[in-house]
Amino acid sequence: MEAKENNQFGLEKSHGDHISSHSSGAAGFVTPLTSSPILSASMVEAFFAPSLWNHHTSSCPMNFGESNIQTATSGINCVPIGKPVAMSNRGMLPSPPPGEFPHSLPHFPVDSGFIERAARLSCFGGSSFRGISLFGPSQSMAPPSDASKDVNGARVLKAELNVVSLPVEHGTIKGITTNSKRDRSISHVGTSNNESREGNFCEDGQERHTGSADAAGNSSSSDLGANKRRKATEEMEKEKDQVLRALQSSTETTKNNTETKHKSYKHSGKNAKDNSEAAKEGYVHVRAQRGQATNSHSLAERVRREKISERMKYLQELVPGCSKVTGKAVMLDEIINYVQSLQRQVEFLSMKLAAVNPQLDFSIEGPLAKNLLHSHGGSSSAAGFSQEMIYPQVYSSQQGLAHAGISSMLNPSDAFRRPMNTEIPMTSGYKETSLQMHNSWNEQLVMQMAYGANPPLNSQVINRKPDGFTI
Amino acid sequence: MDSKSSACSSPNPNPTLGPSKLMLAFRFLRALSLVRRTTPASSRTCRGRRIERAAYASMAYTAGASRAWSRAVLRRLHHRARRRAVAPRRLSTTAGNRAEALRRLVPGGGGMDYCTLLEETADYIKCLSMQVELMQGIVDSASSYGP
Repeated sequence: MEAKENNQFGLEKSHGDHISSHSSGAAGFVTPLTSSPILSASMVEAFFAPSLWNHHTSSCPMNFGESNIQTATSGINCVPIGKPVAMSNRGMLPSPPPGEFPHSLPHFPVDSGFIERAARLSCFGGSSFRGISLFGPSQSMAPPSDASKDVNGARVLKAELNVVSLPVEHGTIKGITTNSKRDRSISHVGTSNNESREGNFCEDGQERHTGSADAAGNSSSSDLGANKRRKATEEMEKEKDQVLRALQSSTETTKNNTETKHKSYKHSGKNAKDNSEAAKEGYVHVRAQRGQATNSHSLAERVRREKISERMKYLQELVPGCSKVTGKAVMLDEIINYVQSLQRQVEFLSMKLAAVNPQLDFSIEGPLAKNLLHSHGGSSSAAGFSQEMIYPQVYSSQQGLAHAGISSMLNPSDAFRRPMNTEIPMTSGYKETSLQMHNSWNEQLVMQMAYGANPPLNSQVINRKPDGFTI
Repeated sequence: MDSKSSACSSPNPNPTLGPSKLMLAFRFLRALSLVRRTTPASSRTCRGRRIERAAYASMAYTAGASRAWSRAVLRRLHHRARRRAVAPRRLSTTAGNRAEALRRLVPGGGGMDYCTLLEETADYIKCLSMQVELMQGIVDSASSYGP
């Protein structure tokens, strides 16, 4: 936005000259901006767009972890729902031997009923639900007969594969219910496993698939960087792969499942409670994805990686010409080059400023200075003012235009109004104007010119909507 | 340098809003006038370096004490007044040490983890670009008067 307004001044050429004369290769960063199309500037536009800029900058500097909290709490909210059913479960299963499950759990709700209830919970992500439904029945297959464990498990998994391929969540639920009717006699045992697993899902997640976890985990961790886990289709693909792999190694997974389930029984009570409590305490909750290790170390690693990728994205917006660049290494190189070029520019400009003939004598009046320094707490006024100052008009060599622009610009700010309105000289010629002006007016003029003169280096930032996340 | 720094002692009360262009302009112009007044006109390089220091100081004050890089800049300016180099001149970025190169560039980057380094870099870039804008504008306006 600033770039477009500044171009009105016809500064492009002079600015381009400055840039081209700059010894370093920083020209590449700045010149594209000078050639941006010129917009007709309206006061309203200018007033709101800068506030957008400020909002953008303000929105960015907040915690990156917030997005994680938001996504995670939605998962966490699902947990208590499993509680009422799991509660009774816990009483029943204080110490089941690893290989065995209670065979008679008559008072548990029927599988289909449970599934329908789960289906109504919109917060349940498709993956989580499918995970439960897929592997619950397989678990139920395990206890009755160890000999036929593999066969049954494989059969159930195959049956459930059809479920996974359905694109819609409700579709999958229907598929599951149809399957479950077939397996109802055996699957009722699995409900206990379902519910306890449900309670544990957010925390222990994928320990069942330790056999296939590594392979799946690698693919899913690479997806994290792109936040693809939020898309149902991606999850479906993952699960399909995982189910296929699980088919091949079903014995392994069922064995691991039983072992981890035993561990998870102890944790189930704690986890369900902890989730709701920790959510209030503002911890960063991360939902373990299917096939990913839920080790505390790897979870923390994942959080850290997500933070880093968020910040890299933000940096990508800041550095001009980096939106196409993909990959951390290239991005980092660009960032380093940009910072170097900015520092070189500061050095170069400071040398130039030293050489400039001091025609403008800046001295700030006491009250004006105090006003500025103490009232910048009302930063909206200050920011709004500074953004108005960007208003192009100043740079024109015609006095009348400058006068009109300046006087129209400075209305809201009390600190500047008085000197502005009383001391706008009516001389012709810009140079005379600046020399004869009141010192504070002088400085204001320079500030206006300073911000009006340049296409901002980060104009792209202004045009973009603020992200959801904040630093 | 001390008079400059003592004059701009008010902290930024709105760290969430980000650095303010107006405050930066205000501080820098004040520092610039001070430099112009105090240094003799003959020593241009000396004045140039002082102006550069003034630029970094005003940047750091505007950014506020909430940022690690601004604290590092001010620390550097106050305690190492003898040393002139505020920004390192030459840096080579080989494939292996990109993070190190970034750490050397961003003031105060040595003592923080990678995640914080990226955050600080973003804020530093914002402030640097604002500063460059401001200085470019002043140079342009000054040169537009012409002979």
